[in-house]
Amino acid sequence: MAAPIVRSVRELMRLVDFALVPRRHRHKKKWAATEPKFPATQLALQNFDMTYSVQFEDLWPSIRVSLLSEQKYGALVNNFADWDCVSARLEQLNAKDFVSEAISHWELEAQSGHSAAPSPAYSPNLRCFTFARGDVSRFPPSRLGSLGVMDYYLMDAASLLPVLALGLHPGDTVLDLCAAPGGKTLALLQTLCCGNLAANDLSTSRTGRLQKVLQSYVPQDIREKNQVRVTSWDGRKWGELEGDTYDRVLVDVPCTTDRHSLYEEENNIFQRSRKKERQMLPMLQVQLLAAGLLATRPGGHVVYSTCSLSHLQNEYVVQGTIELLANQYSIRVQVEDLSHFRKLFMDTFCFFQSCQVGELVLPNLMANFGPMYFCKLHRLT
Amino acid sequence: VLNLHRQIPLTWVCLAKLMPHLGEQKRTAVSLFRKLTTTSNGEGLEELPLIGSKKHVQELKCRADLVHCLPEKQRLSVDGGPLTLEKVVCSLLHMGFSDAHINELLSIQPHASPQQLLDVISEFILLGVNPEPVYVALKKSPQLLKMPVGQIKKRSSYLRKLGLGEGKLKRVLHSCPEIFTMRQRDIDDVIQVLKEKCLFTMQQVTEILHRCPNVLQGNPSELEYKFQYAYFRMGIKHVDIVRTEFLKYSLTKIKQRHIYLERLGRYQTPDKKGQTQIANPLLKDILRVPEAEFLAKTACSSAEEFVVFKKLLAREEEEEPESSTSTEEEEEEEGEEEELC
Ligand SMILES: C[S@@+](CC[C@H](N)C(=O)[O-])C[C@H]1O[C@@H](n2cnc3c(N)ncnc32)[C@H](O)[C@@H]1O
Repeated sequence: MAAPIVRSVRELMRLVDFALVPRRHRHKKKWAATEPKFPATQLALQNFDMTYSVQFEDLWPSIRVSLLSEQKYGALVNNFADWDCVSARLEQLNAKDFVSEAISHWELEAQSGHSAAPSPAYSPNLRCFTFARGDVSRFPPSRLGSLGVMDYYLMDAASLLPVLALGLHPGDTVLDLCAAPGGKTLALLQTLCCGNLAANDLSTSRTGRLQKVLQSYVPQDIREKNQVRVTSWDGRKWGELEGDTYDRVLVDVPCTTDRHSLYEEENNIFQRSRKKERQMLPMLQVQLLAAGLLATRPGGHVVYSTCSLSHLQNEYVVQGTIELLANQYSIRVQVEDLSHFRKLFMDTFCFFQSCQVGELVLPNLMANFGPMYFCKLHRLT
Repeated sequence: VLNLHRQIPLTWVCLAKLMPHLGEQKRTAVSLFRKLTTTSNGEGLEELPLIGSKKHVQELKCRADLVHCLPEKQRLSVDGGPLTLEKVVCSLLHMGFSDAHINELLSIQPHASPQQLLDVISEFILLGVNPEPVYVALKKSPQLLKMPVGQIKKRSSYLRKLGLGEGKLKRVLHSCPEIFTMRQRDIDDVIQVLKEKCLFTMQQVTEILHRCPNVLQGNPSELEYKFQYAYFRMGIKHVDIVRTEFLKYSLTKIKQRHIYLERLGRYQTPDKKGQTQIANPLLKDILRVPEAEFLAKTACSSAEEFVVFKKLLAREEEEEPESSTSTEEEEEEEGEEEELC
């Protein structure tokens, strides 16, 4: 009778220990005395339960279950591949390009006079396929196309929104301040607008991954023609390095990466040992956004983005930075209203309705993208 | 009608005898049957009070029709001849079966002898099951009618020893008629899992078989896993597993609802002291309620989201199959033993 009990107990430990983490994301490890009593993924969840239940009130349970369930992807079509063919193949899977869907929907409304809103400014040429609300199909892995580059890039479709919102124009000089592993850098290049692109990330190992992405998706001549420059500097210094330079700057800062922090034990920002670092995040974010704004030419635009739900890392950082720039540099920065943008894409994403500045995509089982916060800033002086 | 009576003259006699108490028969079926089995047929009946006439004549006609409806072959060629059939019909009426039911009972296994039918039914009646549930069980599992009576008797006495006699068997027979046709070994396996692996007391085992007879039909190792899920994963104690009839729900449904609540942040596994930071919903509000009610009152969520969740969960489970039945990598540690209760 001992054996079954032993087995039961083992099952118990397995069951209890994994109580909160979806099985497919379990960190596979043997039972051992050194097993952390509180895995970082659980600490993350506790932290979210405390802060987000207050921040989002009744919405929190539905966000929570979505964060803990499989996320949805979008397939960003590689314009340097045989994109026509790739799009046709994605359509056959019953996926739709959410960007063109949204635009044509908007145009229809404008024609019939239902919407008096001005044409929203968005970066052109981006095609990103997603499955409809409630459709949990997955995309097959991307493959090498006939032109020697991969045919599409799988990413959280909400990650495209900051790039769309940045509103690139042909020939723009663009800075991607925290670029690795490069999903948004690739999207910036896909707009075919970058006259010049600087892609930077502090971590050299991560810029290595960025280089690989660029190599497999962008033909060499384009990379050279667009003068893509990959660097590994501290983004906080960019204002001093290249002030008043760029037309468009993307500041996609390090954050608590909420979805990721619930799945992955390794390098988790909620590990006890990284508590200080975590507490310093808003500070780092302010410094990076300030640097991004300083690197922007007066009249240029910045998009600040995170994949966290935390107001402290989102709206507060934006508001704090605007104040900082006004006080310390006498630079005036204005938040651009993105509510038209929210309306444009509300069929694809679930937006939080009560952001003071910027827009926030909430994970939702029907459209399990995000979290993704983005706020567009206009440097006036 | 007259023509009919000529064909089966004995029915008249038999039914006429029954006439006086037809109105009462359903309610008194069981006691009546007991009387019938202890006294000789005629005597026992004559003692019963007589009741009015007109209605009875009508019923009588129906009964004649009933017998008439039987296939020609069955009426004449069964082993005992027409006589046996009449007797069986009479006895069934005595027991309290309705015309329609008798008719259908006789046609479940057209080739079986009516005597066999009667024997099997008698066994169930003796076990304390009422005619209606007996009828339902036989319709649901016609193979019961093929069982040798000796085997049914043997199984009956075994079930009684398990504590499933009297009224309790009704429910078991209703949701798991297979309890009579199953191999003894399969029943033993289930009981062994409940007793030795899940550590239920014998009394609890009886209660489980009574309340959740479908556990008998399932795979024993899945039953064990279901118990472990309840006990370890959801933190439900033995008594509550029995009381809430937890084991009768499918593992799929249990997991769907429990994991959904858990990810919503509405259910927590109790810690070693049995405590949680939030008040968990009652089990009856998780499992016993229909899905719409579960969503509206317990999960406070929408049906469309739950539909998607179920799809995602199914895929998660499929992509990492349950480890309960397969032996996994972590087999070597024997040190981490802990008392189960
Ligand atoms: C959210 S990720 C960027 C993701 C990327 N934009 C994409 O779409 O693939 C944040 C990045 O910021 C980088 N980072 C952290 N501190 C930095 C700093 N001081 N300067 C520049 N990059 C930094 C991290 O290495 C990390 O790769």
